[in-house]
Amino acid sequence: MSRPPGVRRARPLLGTLVEICAVGAAPRRLNPAIDAAFARIEHVQALMSYHDPASELSRLNRAAASRPQRISAHTRTVLSAALRLAQLSEGAFDPCIGDSLERWGCLPDHGYARPRAGSWRDVELAAREVRFRRPLRLDLGGIAKGYAVDLALEALREAGVREACVNAGGDLRVSGARAQRIALRHPLAPQLTGHTLLLRDAALATSAAYHSRRRLRAREVSALVDPPSRRPYLGAGSVSVCAPECLTADALTKVVLFAAPQAAERVLAACGARAYVQ
Amino acid sequence: MSSRIVMLPVAALAAAQPVEAMIYLSLEQAQQLMFAHETLTPLALAPSNDQIAAIERSTGTRFQSGALRAWKADSGYFFVDAVIGKHDLITYAVALSAQGAVREVEILEYREAYGGEVRSARWRAQFVGRHYGDAVQIGRDIHNVSGATLSCQHVTDGIRRVLATYALVIAGPAPP
Repeated sequence: MSRPPGVRRARPLLGTLVEICAVGAAPRRLNPAIDAAFARIEHVQALMSYHDPASELSRLNRAAASRPQRISAHTRTVLSAALRLAQLSEGAFDPCIGDSLERWGCLPDHGYARPRAGSWRDVELAAREVRFRRPLRLDLGGIAKGYAVDLALEALREAGVREACVNAGGDLRVSGARAQRIALRHPLAPQLTGHTLLLRDAALATSAAYHSRRRLRAREVSALVDPPSRRPYLGAGSVSVCAPECLTADALTKVVLFAAPQAAERVLAACGARAYVQ
Repeated sequence: MSSRIVMLPVAALAAAQPVEAMIYLSLEQAQQLMFAHETLTPLALAPSNDQIAAIERSTGTRFQSGALRAWKADSGYFFVDAVIGKHDLITYAVALSAQGAVREVEILEYREAYGGEVRSARWRAQFVGRHYGDAVQIGRDIHNVSGATLSCQHVTDGIRRVLATYALVIAGPAPP
């Protein structure tokens, strides 16, 4: 029986397993392309990791409230997209919720100046610099994973790989002329997959609380924060968003979880995206 | 009615499929990828109780005897280890430089289990001592899966244990 030649590899990156599948050539051709794709993801991680005190993001959280900080083109792209989506969604997506996740033990506390209730409106982004109007905890965790997936797929394309899938722990993007079948985890039994979607040259990201929900002292928390109320999402549902780019799909799952339905509808339309709620 | 938000009915659990185990690379494929054309010699890893205690102290993690295997290559070291997370069993390979710095990490196998199965000796026993498959199946039957992000902190902890084992057991203590 013949099967399409291909290589599927995975590395621990971005706090999860990142899987890259490339098809259509011999492994000796595909492996260097996959190496280059992983290298792009490592670069995003080095710039935007919340866990790494040496990342560019940590420098912003440490110092951008005191004086303007220079930022790289990649971080600028992600931050600018984050602020645009925060504005479009009227704050249903907000990258400034890191302090809540720190308090819930989902992100590390590096001991920088205590943040005071802030939001995306406190971030001033200029051409090459960023400044916070007050101490903040910027967390690009809800969008940078998608951006890293986009960059990895771009690296594969540049290396001549025409059909591929990059999956960063559930946030993924596929390329190629053939539609690829994507299985969605069942929200009530995440070890199983129920629905499947066909995806062609597009991205799909999913948010749900089943893996991150846990008890913290007398309450329950998850890794999903409703920005205005700062309450954790503890529902049993799961939101998947299909969009042309993974950066958009990643951020929009939070918009669909936390915005009013009409607002979510409007933002999805503005981004050429569609949501699947289960 | 909403046009961009599709409500999917809750899928019947009876019709749902388990997330497939993934074999990414065989041991030999990982060695070839990380140390192409080099000779790899197995190293006998027999840490003393004191060394195990030191590894556990410096990493804040439990050392599992027998899981970790090591090889010496011409330009560095090759390690294979298995770690158990909340919901999965992961086998991975680490390439270290001759100076003991991490050069590459590759996942070899990924298996999911829920409801405590992952901690059951019987479930784990089916993978002990088996040979890694040579062929990595890429086919229409393998689905890519989208879902909420799974943490891989246990792999990160495992890599720290590999580094501590290298430093304390293979490289030996620094001269006084």
